[in-house]
Amino acid sequence: MHKCNLDVEISKLSKIEGHADLDIKIRDGKLEEVNLKVMENLRFFNQAVKGQSYAAVPQLVSRICGTCSIAHLTGCIEAVEKTLGVKISQQTLILRKLTVYSMMIRDHALHLYFFAMPDMLGIDSLLDVPEDKHDLIHDALAVKEAGNNLSELIAGRAVHAPFEQVGGFSHEIDEQKIPAMIEQLKKIRPIVLKLIDIFASCNWEFKRKTNFVALVTDDFSFLEGKIKDMHGLEIEEKDYWNHLHNVVLPYSQATGFEFEGKEYMVGSLARLNLNKENLHENTKRDTAKYLKRFPSENVYDNNLAQAIEILHSVDHSIELLESNKFQKEESAKPEKLTGKNAGAIEAPRGTLYYAIEIEEGKVKELKLVIPTAQNLVNMKRDVEQIVSGLCATGIGKEELEKHIIFEVSKLIRAYDPCMSCASHFLRVRWT
Amino acid sequence: METKPSSARASAGEAKKRVGIFSFTCDEGCSILLTEIFNQKLIPWLEKMELVYFLSIKDKVEIKDLDIALVEGVVTSERDKEDIEKIRANTRILIAMGTCAMTALPSGQRNNFNISQLKEIEGHLEKYNFLPKALALKDVVVVDDNISGCPIDEGKFIEVFEKYLA
Repeated sequence: MHKCNLDVEISKLSKIEGHADLDIKIRDGKLEEVNLKVMENLRFFNQAVKGQSYAAVPQLVSRICGTCSIAHLTGCIEAVEKTLGVKISQQTLILRKLTVYSMMIRDHALHLYFFAMPDMLGIDSLLDVPEDKHDLIHDALAVKEAGNNLSELIAGRAVHAPFEQVGGFSHEIDEQKIPAMIEQLKKIRPIVLKLIDIFASCNWEFKRKTNFVALVTDDFSFLEGKIKDMHGLEIEEKDYWNHLHNVVLPYSQATGFEFEGKEYMVGSLARLNLNKENLHENTKRDTAKYLKRFPSENVYDNNLAQAIEILHSVDHSIELLESNKFQKEESAKPEKLTGKNAGAIEAPRGTLYYAIEIEEGKVKELKLVIPTAQNLVNMKRDVEQIVSGLCATGIGKEELEKHIIFEVSKLIRAYDPCMSCASHFLRVRWT
Repeated sequence: METKPSSARASAGEAKKRVGIFSFTCDEGCSILLTEIFNQKLIPWLEKMELVYFLSIKDKVEIKDLDIALVEGVVTSERDKEDIEKIRANTRILIAMGTCAMTALPSGQRNNFNISQLKEIEGHLEKYNFLPKALALKDVVVVDDNISGCPIDEGKFIEVFEKYLA
């Protein structure tokens, strides 16, 4: 048995959203310390939104994150509407579901094909796949493009979508483009099924007892429902905050969260573990053999869960586009201009909570809870277990370092963390 | 993860433009939009370019002998400043991508904070070696071209990028 001292430093972890470093300290062959350092520089949005108009703030917070900007936009809009008594129409709700689905399709596809798949194939980048697997590059671009086009059709753009606003959508949907959109979604369906097969056949496993938390919606549309955990707890969206407390991570520009005093995981795996019954009928039919795997404690099943969520987003979008007529509508107006309330939605990486206080139409206070920040404590404990396990094998120093870098990077990628989002935390009075 | 530059370059890559995509302090919305532009353009562009730095999709990267550096985000910390200076010293053409890189906003909102707002953030600024002001790229290094928008305008990006790729 080697009793080595080793400092592993991963600078700028690749194939994740945003910047993070990782320092691991091993002394006498035992793990002493893991420091997961979110190195994304703060941009101080919570100070900057104060005094701004309620109507302008959703587009501002959209800039917290490029890849899930639609989640911030939608989450913030929902919180404003709940605060000011804005009653949205049925059509707005349908368009909002389609907008969120468009994000899930392209965001999950980016993660699965470009971030996670290279580790499976033993290559550095998807662009390096051998000639006989070049179909995977074309698959990746086709799935992403369908999501991107759906965003453009419904919300104007995939990044910082301009049409989605408080009370409704500012632009009418071009009805003539709907049949081609449906065709495109149907065309990527077999590609998504192939993606599901690929991740279902992956034999990576990492388990550690933890809790899962997600907003459970009755049509798996990520928008309205109750927050649940694996122990049967059921919470109203607005009360989520009362069950959380924040955990300071040394050397990190982000703080973590605990739920009911313990670490937990949010995201696709949590949603599948808590709500697989409500997936679209066609999705359930075609993924039945894989759905049996959930609830799962294997962190790597987060990848499979994301792939299944792409299929659900495709299937439900096809149904919504086929069965609805869209017409021009006036935006719903606020009943009042002062109030305080909160709401939660499911972003690609998990539960996203927005609480807002508005006075005379101006934002007085805004606080939010970011999915990746909620996963940080769980992620850190997982890394500790992996490193301790590798230390216990007694392999040589060089081998140990190589294995730690590979296994830890792979595990962190399975969480699909977004450091741009995580570094947005609020200096709040924790009451 | 940054690795030491390798001296041996693939001979097939020799004629291709060496392109790096870099993210400074921002939401990375421009590089995300760029990956959407890639849906149609990546395959043809790969005939003419080699992606040597793009941490979003690859781990083995180097900042060396770049022909084109596409840079998004704001220079807000000492580490940002050192990094952009290193990129400038190693690239022929440096293109600022998007509103953040061109104007320092929205990170630059802190440049206009009042005293009470500044008081809330000063501890953080000091702890993580932030610069006194958040800066646009042109305030730190020479910028050869700009692509505006938040996120970047798709048509403008293709026009400018293809000009240097030719």
